[in-house]
Amino acid sequence: MTEPTDFELLELATPYALNAVTDDERAAIERRVAAAPGAVAEAFHSEVRAVRETLSVVAASTAVEAPARLRARVLTAVATPHRRFRWRTALLAAAAAVVIGLGAVGVGLALRPAPTPSTAEQVFAAPDVHTVSGQMPGGGSATVIFSREKNAGVLVMNDVPPPKSGTVYQMWLINDRGPASAGTMDARAVAPSTTAVLPDLRHSTALAFTVEPGSGSTKPTTPIIAQLPLI
Amino acid sequence: MRRPESNYPALRTRPNPTTRGRRLCYGSMTRSPQVDDHLAALLRRVANRDADAFADFYDHTSARVYGLVTRVVRDRGYSEETTQEVYLQVWQNAANFNPAAGSAMAWLLTLAHRRAVDRVRAEQAATQRDSRYGSATAERAADVVAESAILRQERRQVAECLDSMTDTQRECIELAYYGGLTYAQVSERLSANLATIKSRMRDGLRSLRNCLGVT
Repeated sequence: MTEPTDFELLELATPYALNAVTDDERAAIERRVAAAPGAVAEAFHSEVRAVRETLSVVAASTAVEAPARLRARVLTAVATPHRRFRWRTALLAAAAAVVIGLGAVGVGLALRPAPTPSTAEQVFAAPDVHTVSGQMPGGGSATVIFSREKNAGVLVMNDVPPPKSGTVYQMWLINDRGPASAGTMDARAVAPSTTAVLPDLRHSTALAFTVEPGSGSTKPTTPIIAQLPLI
Repeated sequence: MRRPESNYPALRTRPNPTTRGRRLCYGSMTRSPQVDDHLAALLRRVANRDADAFADFYDHTSARVYGLVTRVVRDRGYSEETTQEVYLQVWQNAANFNPAAGSAMAWLLTLAHRRAVDRVRAEQAATQRDSRYGSATAERAADVVAESAILRQERRQVAECLDSMTDTQRECIELAYYGGLTYAQVSERLSANLATIKSRMRDGLRSLRNCLGVT
């Protein structure tokens, strides 16, 4: 049975989760939750958790790239003599869109360096925007955010390892007439977070990835390693 | 002939079940489960003193941490110090992270927010200054961020969901969460009774949560 005092305790879950209590209040609330009936404690924790998860999503709206000197300070502070950090030239994974160097492949080259703000913004603002994600077999993930109305998409690759030396990743837009090259990425182009615009989706139903020798092929010469359905 | 694909024996194409083929309305999760899994996995390695994992974790989360801390603390130098303390705390206490109790990002940001609020309150106690709070005076630093496509997409959804709250709900939550006020101080400032403030906070966060599709 839930007593009035339990209701009062549950009402404090939101201020507690917002850190909108004094240290004394926080300690008192934690004591009361510890002493409360199981169901009440569970309801309290569940509310706190929901508030915190919500706020963690809201944090996207206040995100600001931290200064590079801060990264250096933080990482140096925890460095031990036995380990060295992999210093990255890219500042942050969540930072600016990474420009991709592309070899021109065939006639169907569709992938361009960097999301020009206009195309990417148009896609994100489109009423029919869709997102599709998949794991890459060698690790990392690929996501395409796309709009049929805008006939464009944005490809985001996170933590995808670079292709083996002498090969490139090649992207293919697939329609009922087969695959058309959407560009290639070599080892230098693959960063912890790589973004590229797909400006012309037309009737393609999937974006496929292959590993191609040299600087790419006009048609896939190896099996598809990953495919994202554009539906 | 070179057969580079043999390095990838398993074909593992796995459309994201939360977003695949679905319109990106506010009912879809704004952060993929893969991201949370990845951060949780990094924290497990950090708990074992893996410095590479720590650097990776920092790179994936520092914009959100630094941005939130800056929003609350509002002073650049203090914000950097506080952010540094947060990550040292992560380095020392990563083993305390319990994935059953919530996502890695929520765990981290709870820790960061607590530290930022403690900092603001300590400063207030020291100077007794009349602080200015609220969105009107808060720096819109987010505007200057160079952002990834994902972050931009999340930001747009969040911005629209923030509008799902009433003005009075939003005011209460901002004074507390970004201003560092306790709910009793919010009640004083707005000349509203405590019960009203608590229910505005609760109802506002529920709207926000429903809008964002947070489960």
